Amino acid sequence: MLPKIDRRSFLSVGALTATVPGFLSQTGRLFADGPKSHAHEERVLVVVQLAGGNDGLNTLVPFRDDAYYKARPKIAIDKAKSLKIADEFALHPEAGDLRKLFDAGQLGIVPNVGYPNPNRSHFRSMEIWETATPEKDARTGWVGRYFDAECRDNASPMLGLQLGEKPAMTFSHVKNRAVTLTNPSLFRWDTGPVGKSMDQLNSVRPTENGQLDFLQRSGNDMLTMSRKIQEALKETKTATEYAPFNFSQSLRLVAQMIAADVPTRVYYVSLGGFDTHATQAGRHAALLQELSQGLGSFIADLKAMGHLDRTLVMTFSEFGRRVAENEQQGTDHGTAGPMFLAGGKVNAGIHGARPNLTDLDEGDLKYQTDFRSVYATILKKWFNADAKQVLGGDYKTLPLFG
Amino acid sequence: MNAVVVWDASAASHLLSRVAFGGTAKQAAQFAVRTPENIVSMLIEEARAAPAPAKPAWVRDPWVNTERVYPETTPAERMENHRKAGERQTRERNELRCWWLDEMIRTPAPLREVMTLFWHGHFTTEAKRMFVAQPLYTQNVALRTHALGNFRELLEAVTLDAAMMMYLNLEDSNAKKPNENFARELLELFTVGIGNYGEKDIREVARALSGWTLDAPAGTAKRPTVADAGRSFCRDGLVPTFVKAKHDSGEKTIFGRTGRYGLRDVLEIVAAHPATAALVCGKLIAFFGVIDPKNKLRDRMAEAFIASDGDIARAMTVLLTSSEFYSDESRGTLIKSPVQLLVGTCRQLQLDVTATPSLAQLTAAMGQELFNPPDVKGWPGGRDWICAGTLAVRYHLPEALFDGREPDGFEPIATDRNFALPADDKARRELIARIRDFDRQRKAERKQDGFKVTFDPSKAFDGPIPEKPEALVDALLARTVAVALRRDTRATLIQAVAAAPAAERVAWACRLILTTPEYQLA
Repeated sequence: MLPKIDRRSFLSVGALTATVPGFLSQTGRLFADGPKSHAHEERVLVVVQLAGGNDGLNTLVPFRDDAYYKARPKIAIDKAKSLKIADEFALHPEAGDLRKLFDAGQLGIVPNVGYPNPNRSHFRSMEIWETATPEKDARTGWVGRYFDAECRDNASPMLGLQLGEKPAMTFSHVKNRAVTLTNPSLFRWDTGPVGKSMDQLNSVRPTENGQLDFLQRSGNDMLTMSRKIQEALKETKTATEYAPFNFSQSLRLVAQMIAADVPTRVYYVSLGGFDTHATQAGRHAALLQELSQGLGSFIADLKAMGHLDRTLVMTFSEFGRRVAENEQQGTDHGTAGPMFLAGGKVNAGIHGARPNLTDLDEGDLKYQTDFRSVYATILKKWFNADAKQVLGGDYKTLPLFG
Repeated sequence: MNAVVVWDASAASHLLSRVAFGGTAKQAAQFAVRTPENIVSMLIEEARAAPAPAKPAWVRDPWVNTERVYPETTPAERMENHRKAGERQTRERNELRCWWLDEMIRTPAPLREVMTLFWHGHFTTEAKRMFVAQPLYTQNVALRTHALGNFRELLEAVTLDAAMMMYLNLEDSNAKKPNENFARELLELFTVGIGNYGEKDIREVARALSGWTLDAPAGTAKRPTVADAGRSFCRDGLVPTFVKAKHDSGEKTIFGRTGRYGLRDVLEIVAAHPATAALVCGKLIAFFGVIDPKNKLRDRMAEAFIASDGDIARAMTVLLTSSEFYSDESRGTLIKSPVQLLVGTCRQLQLDVTATPSLAQLTAAMGQELFNPPDVKGWPGGRDWICAGTLAVRYHLPEALFDGREPDGFEPIATDRNFALPADDKARRELIARIRDFDRQRKAERKQDGFKVTFDPSKAFDGPIPEKPEALVDALLARTVAVALRRDTRATLIQAVAAAPAAERVAWACRLILTTPEYQLA
């Protein structure tokens, strides 16, 4: 079916493995032993999803704004306890490590990020952020499109790597280049005759059944990746201590993989539970402590291992919450919220003005920066990619990098 | 489309794989001599007539809150009560998962459990967001009772129910500032769906639903708790109770209609909305893996659903006797859910199994923890069941089922941080040590019963175990795989069986079948 080709052009069609099963995917296990990639020179993005709708106003507190305290008589963050980082902004008291990153010049914050005609459904709004396509029901994620447009000559079967159970739409693409995994200990297999037969049963033989072909590819990719992961985790030790919780430990794994030169460009980690409709103070404090300490450990670790300058962390949430608190000392679904960017090359500081709490749209913030401006900046300035092609439009870039 | 259904053993086997966790070749042959209409009405009748599973011993009636904080409760007592309640919750959640799994594995009316599972993914409640287990049980009972009944009645049963009221903050929502959480999900996910309501409708529905709380059964003597206690520490019971003073009795406008609506009016309005019929029928079609490219089947189902005032069984009858259900595109193309995979394996290989927490953890590790969907939208299903991690667990199933051994990595890498830790270093380390202890204890408790599974090779066949590897593999494939095989699959299996030690031949074949892409499909 394929003409004779040299290794170079062979690698360049490797990107098509997801749609051309057959011969190419069967070679998955050969790729795993191919020449060492130049992953260690490549830049990495770590996307952090704050699922459920993070209360931005209690995260990045507009502590000089009377309207804030008026709208939230019971749950506003105490001015005296909040951690001041700028003239008009303070961080939540549990975000001490984020303040340290800010002071060390490793944290940039974009306040009040959103998009036009905000949707207040978790699912639709999350889709909008992940597809970067608010206008229509898109099926591809913004990073999925970036991989397709810019990483065709990279043969890695795991350009995207997500820790979690539910594959994120950010990576979605007909030519899927991302894998999702829960616990790396799962990827050890029998090496005797049963294991060998299992490998054979999972080599790809195209059929008429699209679902069966999808499963064959998934099985083959999973077994290929198993070895990569085991090698990466065996060889690398992390340098700092992480808190013994899911999100922190997920970041620890990401740090290990970055340090082990796993051929992955974009990692995706989630912290869930931000849907704080009732008695939110305690839960929100726990979540922000986890976010803050997790990122604190992660950045320190990468710095110690010498990989911080090629790493960028970006947080996002599907929406912020309503400005006024509700009767159950919680907050309902709202609109815009802040994004955090952390790394060795980030322009520290606050890139935008504080939200106006007296000019609201039915009780919700009017956004100031379109999230696609942040994506465009990352695509252009961090990945040196064609942001217009990936995002399907021109968005103003922000001075997020030096 | 009114194309004729070709009804034969293969069609019957397809039906069994979708609605009954799979059947045997013998069962399919018995079905094939009757008509699909006749079989489907029999399955529905069976599901309706089957006795309810026995109530677990730990369920209390009335439920009593052991965590209430009274003026004289000391901080030490409060801590101790909280610790005990946490232990009780862990134990009861484990027992609950086993209770349902056992029912699914043993029931003579599998359609009822499959439908209950469908509704569990529709009217969701996440165990991780609940601090008591009992409401999850009562919700499950409600889902089973109405699984093939009337949608309006089902909707009311799950709305005026402690699990839903706690989960989506309907409990205590009051007129002053009604909580919108349940109102939003009611419209977006449970009934009419996105595009059929506005933000204003949500706010108005929330007003109409205000005034409900959870309380002790009427007439119970009450002892006042401290004034500032959170709901977990003052809740007197789990009985949905209307408090008129907290209800917004003013006029509301919902979908353009105005009235002094209350909770039951809202449920009436949304249940009767045509968009609800379309949404529910569309979800059933997707759940049962039917390809309906032009929504013609959905429209026929919705018509039957509306004509019968929301009779779920009527819609299901249309679905299961439709030409779409038996079309080539719909066969062998449904990715089994983790529960379907595990329960189906136990039933089809006739494993002698008692559900233990370790067994229940298998479906959790594959991405479907019973009573704990990922979010309020439930499990997305389809290709979302498969990612590297969950597929790896599927391929590790044989170790659990045939060796009784739990492979590494079946738990998340750590726990969630459920509360903020103190800043003081010593106090923080002590607390972390306590959390780790608790987590270890929780895991040990879950694992203490291990797996109680025995595999008897002779039960995997309708007749004697075939001598020849070819015949042995063919018989097993006929029973367990519903999809057309790839050319090499059979050959690889035969080769492996031929090379296996004599006593291990059936076990090796079963092991390997479980690790094929084909076996993941129904």
